[in-house]
Amino acid sequence: MSLETIESFVEGAPPGELADVVADIKALTVNDPGLVSKLTPAFEKYNEEQFTTVKLPGSSQQVVISSHNSFGDGRYYDVESSSSFAFNHATQKASSVQSHVLEGPQTDLVKSTLKSLSTYAREHYANAAYGVYPIENDSKVAIVLVANKYSPNNFWNGRWRSLYVFEPTSGTLEGSLKVDVHYYEDGNVRLLTNKPVSSSAGATGVAIAKEIAAVEKKYQEELNRGFMSLSEGAFKGLRRQLPVTRQKIEWDKVASYRVGQDIGGARR
Amino acid sequence: MASADPFDSALDLLRRLNPKHTTAHLQSLISLAPDLTEDLLSSVDQPLTIRRCKQTGRDYLLCDYNRDGDSYRSPWSNEFDPPLDGGQIGDGGAGDGAGAAGVPSDKVRLMEVKANEAFDVYRELYYEGGVSSVYFWNLDDGFAGVVLLKKEAKPGSTSEGSWDSIHVFEALDRARVTQYNLTSTVILSLSTSGSGLGDMDLSGNMTRQIEQELPAENDEQQIANIGKLVEDMELKMRNLLQEVYFGKAKDVVGDLRSMGSLSEAGRDREAQREIIGSMRR
Repeated sequence: MSLETIESFVEGAPPGELADVVADIKALTVNDPGLVSKLTPAFEKYNEEQFTTVKLPGSSQQVVISSHNSFGDGRYYDVESSSSFAFNHATQKASSVQSHVLEGPQTDLVKSTLKSLSTYAREHYANAAYGVYPIENDSKVAIVLVANKYSPNNFWNGRWRSLYVFEPTSGTLEGSLKVDVHYYEDGNVRLLTNKPVSSSAGATGVAIAKEIAAVEKKYQEELNRGFMSLSEGAFKGLRRQLPVTRQKIEWDKVASYRVGQDIGGARR
Repeated sequence: MASADPFDSALDLLRRLNPKHTTAHLQSLISLAPDLTEDLLSSVDQPLTIRRCKQTGRDYLLCDYNRDGDSYRSPWSNEFDPPLDGGQIGDGGAGDGAGAAGVPSDKVRLMEVKANEAFDVYRELYYEGGVSSVYFWNLDDGFAGVVLLKKEAKPGSTSEGSWDSIHVFEALDRARVTQYNLTSTVILSLSTSGSGLGDMDLSGNMTRQIEQELPAENDEQQIANIGKLVEDMELKMRNLLQEVYFGKAKDVVGDLRSMGSLSEAGRDREAQREIIGSMRR
């Protein structure tokens, strides 16, 4: 029994379906009940990479989990609510909330970026959680945004993730955009995308949010063109909707088709 | 709490994990729960492997239904590769290491030959390339079979793709008619990349079933019935795949992030409501 195998199942859980995947793992490892307790590092990796969101006790605001707002030992912080909290990676619940006021040279940039980002996010995401955090000894700022939409009753779930790292001294804005959509009614269909971002912006919250808006708008346009090109290109090239003759096959005459090789254009 | 059946859990897991890597996930599950090996191999569809028939030089497709141990039967020559050592071919029975199906009787093999010819024509007309294989086997009250089709888009261009069709059917003798039970799976993988787009992968599989009763007086009618059922099912599934891959998936992306401004959209809806309200007055 390989822990690595089970960890790869956790890592591959689609948006909003981690609990289902864990239930399956438990059913498949009933003779090794201690195994799931060894999965904490895999859950931590999943939550930080997928930007899992959590509501702090007594709050309705969604807060993001990522490596960029981690204090270690399972504690994370949120700038907007000026708080830190303990996060249980297995249950995805927050507890032990304490006051945490952001300090340091990037505080103003972090707060102004958060403000401009929230205006942008409200305009384009029906359900987004986001955070801005100083990283690497206050030399850079990390910007994290995640939007989830789960519809398990209709057998689909989706997630959009944006990550940017802004360096104030050079003005570089680098990161990645990722989309993950799962459709699983009488099947299993998955859209997975990854787009590296390399851009630049002025060192103000307004300029950063404006650049993010432009980058994400352009990406979504590219993605829509991607759907079109796959539909018109690879998909059509694999199987025709009807033969060249635009007629279904006359099966009682199919033996004679071979003799008259001209049917279907004889593209052999 | 009663624990779920491990087999159902394994299938549920395969329905959730990235369908692009079903074969790898299947191997992991088999190593995790070896007693599920045969059940999983016979019920989980994987992308088909192509092999060249040594006797005829023609390509054919491998699946659990033409497997016996580590050998596979070519539909063009009826020979196993590698040859079964000392085994008797044509006894209709399956050896210890056999896959899901045995070797067809002479009568059913004759139909199998005709079906392979018919679906070779079908493949050329619809796929304009690719590989097809049909395997039949005997049942107590009729026969069963699998129709396989595979096409791969030429790699090297900016977009790549592959299509695998797996149609498993039973043709059961009933009074005056034959009852056909068809389960069809299409595995469709598509991907494209570019500097503006980055990497985009759209992959998966969908399964549909139908049952139908049709008259079949002779072998030709049997093959025509199976041909029509598969042709209609593939047309339906191609439309369904188009809807899910390029409609539904794209719509979900649009649900996650709105291209237009959400507040403007809200204001438009509000204005529309006011107009409708004023018209009613």
